[in-house]
Amino acid sequence: MKSELEHSFVKQLRENQNIIHKICRLYTEDEDAHKDLFQEITIQLWKAYPKFRGDSKFSTWAYRVALNTAITLYRKTKRSINTVGYEGNSHFVPEVHYNYEEEEQLKLLYKAVYQLNDIEKALIFMYLEDKDYTEIAETLGISEVNARVKMNRIKGKLKKLLNPQGI
Amino acid sequence: MKELDLLKKDWQKSEASFEQLSEKDIYAMIHKKSSSIVKWILIVSILEFVVLNGIGLLLPDPYNSKYNELHPYLSIAVNLNYFVILGFIYLFFKNYKTISVLNNASILIKHILKTRKIVNYYIYWNIIIGGYIAAFSFIDSWNQSWKESGKTDSIPDHGTAMILPFVFAMLFIMLFIWAFYKLLYGNFLGKLKDNYEELQKIES
Repeated sequence: MKSELEHSFVKQLRENQNIIHKICRLYTEDEDAHKDLFQEITIQLWKAYPKFRGDSKFSTWAYRVALNTAITLYRKTKRSINTVGYEGNSHFVPEVHYNYEEEEQLKLLYKAVYQLNDIEKALIFMYLEDKDYTEIAETLGISEVNARVKMNRIKGKLKKLLNPQGI
Repeated sequence: MKELDLLKKDWQKSEASFEQLSEKDIYAMIHKKSSSIVKWILIVSILEFVVLNGIGLLLPDPYNSKYNELHPYLSIAVNLNYFVILGFIYLFFKNYKTISVLNNASILIKHILKTRKIVNYYIYWNIIIGGYIAAFSFIDSWNQSWKESGKTDSIPDHGTAMILPFVFAMLFIMLFIWAFYKLLYGNFLGKLKDNYEELQKIES
């Protein structure tokens, strides 16, 4: 028997599942790991759901729990090296057909993002999701100023990864 | 950076590509068991409490009562140990309760590492108290066999002479335990520590 709580949770999660998919895309390298992390995030969200008061949006609340799970709670079943695995990573294929040059650039961009560490990934994720610095800072537990500084550094780092020779 | 705008555009369009889960899939998922780091820490910590205390209970020392008569301060140490164990268990659960996925990442990691630290202190305490009791039994049994051989006059010399090899043996055991934990938790907590350091670095 599905309880009322379960029912409303499952419904909201189904509607907001792309948030979790996107985090899984960023933090995992293959389909199995993606499913694994998705499941762990879902469990963590469900466990925390009784405390969800509805005074914020479900999606805002889910961002925090999902990122915390990816950064902190999730335990990879096998160890992987960050730089390996991109080539076989079906997650990072540009979705829309741009022109050839842009497509190549996107490939390089995804490869560069993939080489960032967990925290940097969290920052870039929230940036790509159009979150403001107040929310980024609150989610990670850092100050807003430092979040901005770090974001600029990440942009610099990405630039460098795109252009190793500095051309 | 115009490349980042391109990335953002592509990222936001990518939603369409995810295989959508049905309510039935999600319903099945919430009934599965978590395999999070916190859960593993809880299981391993409980095992450590059980194993460490179990060893003491499973190895009844035939000389125990006589031994306690000879060394009353040892039994005080043993009784004190029970209080200390209770204290550690209380502190462990108190800290464990503070771990909440709803906190920000920095606080969450801090609470997990702090909870784990309590168990580490407990293990150190066990090594110290174990070493203390072992040292007594070791020196005692040495003296005992010396007495039985009839040469009672030079006990003190040999008692102290045995301290050095004993200390080496203890150091070796401690090193072994330390290496074991380093391996066990290095894998376990490595990611947490890395991410915590990274957050600290941003704030410094």
